[in-house]
Amino acid sequence: MSMIPTMRHVRGFDVVRPLSIGMLMFMMLPLVFLPLLSIFIFGTSKGLASFWSALTASEAVFALKLSMVTSFWATVFNVVFGLFAAYVISRHNFWGRNALIVTISLPTAIPTAVAGFALLLLWGPYGTLGRFLAPHGIQIMFTAGAIILANIFVTFPLAFGVIKPVFDTMSRSLEEASATIGATRWQTFWHVTLPSLRGAIVSGALLTFARAVGEFGSTILVSGNLAGRTQTAPLYIFAKFNEGQIEAANAIAIVLALFSFLIFSVLFFAREWLDVD
Amino acid sequence: MAASAVKIVPEMTPAIDPSPATPQPAASVRAISKRFGQTSVLEDITFDVAEGEALVLLGASGSGKTTILRVIAGLEQPYTGKIILHGKDVTELPARERGVGVIFQSYALFPKMTVEKNIGYGLRIRRRPRKEIKKAVNELLSLVQLEEHRKKYPSQLSGGQQQRVAIARTLAYKPEVLLFDEPFGALDAQTRVHLRREIRVLLKKVNVPAIFITHDQEEALELGDRIAVINTGHIEQIGTPEQIYNHPASEYVATFLGAANILDGVFRFDNVEICGALIGAEVDPTRFKDGQPIKLAFRPEDVSLSKTDNLPDGVCRLSHGVVEEISFAGAYERLSVRLDLMPAPAEKSGDTPYYLTTETPENPTAKPIIATRTKPEASKMKLRVRDHVVVGLTSFTVLPVTAAE
Repeated sequence: MSMIPTMRHVRGFDVVRPLSIGMLMFMMLPLVFLPLLSIFIFGTSKGLASFWSALTASEAVFALKLSMVTSFWATVFNVVFGLFAAYVISRHNFWGRNALIVTISLPTAIPTAVAGFALLLLWGPYGTLGRFLAPHGIQIMFTAGAIILANIFVTFPLAFGVIKPVFDTMSRSLEEASATIGATRWQTFWHVTLPSLRGAIVSGALLTFARAVGEFGSTILVSGNLAGRTQTAPLYIFAKFNEGQIEAANAIAIVLALFSFLIFSVLFFAREWLDVD
Repeated sequence: MAASAVKIVPEMTPAIDPSPATPQPAASVRAISKRFGQTSVLEDITFDVAEGEALVLLGASGSGKTTILRVIAGLEQPYTGKIILHGKDVTELPARERGVGVIFQSYALFPKMTVEKNIGYGLRIRRRPRKEIKKAVNELLSLVQLEEHRKKYPSQLSGGQQQRVAIARTLAYKPEVLLFDEPFGALDAQTRVHLRREIRVLLKKVNVPAIFITHDQEEALELGDRIAVINTGHIEQIGTPEQIYNHPASEYVATFLGAANILDGVFRFDNVEICGALIGAEVDPTRFKDGQPIKLAFRPEDVSLSKTDNLPDGVCRLSHGVVEEISFAGAYERLSVRLDLMPAPAEKSGDTPYYLTTETPENPTAKPIIATRTKPEASKMKLRVRDHVVVGLTSFTVLPVTAAE
């Protein structure tokens, strides 16, 4: 009796299914899989020892560290700002609210080179603001601070974009219930609002960080690309490639690729944990 | 301050002893009005709730009943008026300082907290000692019979269980008054009836004044020690369920709470005249002026039908009539009877239903009246369509015609 449905299933074997899946995978092969694979093939072709020495070169280590640190501070700022902006925008209705949403989201649409150029025009030694700071010996451009500013600019809407929808769908009655129970606004935010945002905050932060670590276009303009001083990991790859040191570039490329795999697996596999209720 | 009312004692006695010598209301709403822009949503709302009493605010959606609740809770500011809780004017206090317990329609349980954590929330934010919180949570868990669900998250509970958590979470900090916003709206019919009884028992146990909001008349009759019928921002009538049902103060109350027949009439010679016929009902002559238009309201079950002119004692004879329709409604039989004193329905050829021609707003009296009979009544005297009957009333209410109508 239980055999009948199984038989039917076999007879009704759908050819389209394996064909379409196979086709999808075949299309992705030259587009995504093979380029990624070649980083690993080339990077380790001269043996692990040579890969390791390329990775531990002092300039390489510095570039990786600088990328991590600048991306970290940009992430901290943008998550806190995104949280605040999402709170204000979803809780209050005011004149210019939509214009503000568009402005916050704008940096995604601006080419990163333009973003870097804009920062230079503002903070550079002859820039709109920079020229008043320069006489006081304050120089923001061509420092780690400039890299953070550039990272903040290009990743500005990412955390906001993830957090705001959660705020929008969050029932107001949770906060009202907390208030009637006797909680202050701060207690309500800490105990009720924030836990519901946990998933959005973590994924917003990871997205921001991943994007900031890989930032190239704006960083190369504002940092000055000084090896061992303001050279981030992507700039290091570019510089070494130009110098013909393919192995040095490749070692860092592997690290950055693995790093983004890690972040996206966290985003993907920790979804359940992040959204647990 | 709310914080002073926090201590939990095993018997769940109220924060303030209800001594019968001082009949001060536990919660008092004084002349509350509220506007949103130009629209007035509440007008002169005034009522008291005694310690341990359950008051139901009954009204259609959009009547303003939820706004009253939110004003009491401090989630909305009134335009004028005062809220007094246990003798203290809290009108200017923010929600968190009022010590009011609100059970939201959606329960508003904190999704990332377990049942225990939800219930203990009010005490945790008041920084009570851990031991005390644990003890109070255990007592409340047993009060609402959710001990075995203590570690679960709200999403893992049924609607009824969620509601019990919401109640326990509110009782934890000993609220001055409990406010229930459509507490059974999200539940299926069976759970609803069951939970209504449970809540009544629970409320008697904890002796906290409670205000319920509902649009469901059956719920209002069962839950309320008193009912306030709210219509477009004002209280139509406030009283015990018995008073409201048997002596409605307005046509709105009569028709909103249960079914009612309404006949237009005139007050004449201390009596009610309907379409030129005095019906032999004595009315207090001080209430109306001679010739004043009035409305006669009576419940379907207050209609007494007879085949002869011999109506039982105490039944007031209304008119002759013809049975137009009989339907079976479970526990009782439902008849529609066209009274002779009404203008006859316009004669129309064909199958045109009569109400298309006669049931016009200008002539509401032309509607047939609805009568219900219990099974024993129906079997004692069988009636069929087109039977001629004498219609009497065992009970009725004479209402003034308000200017708005």
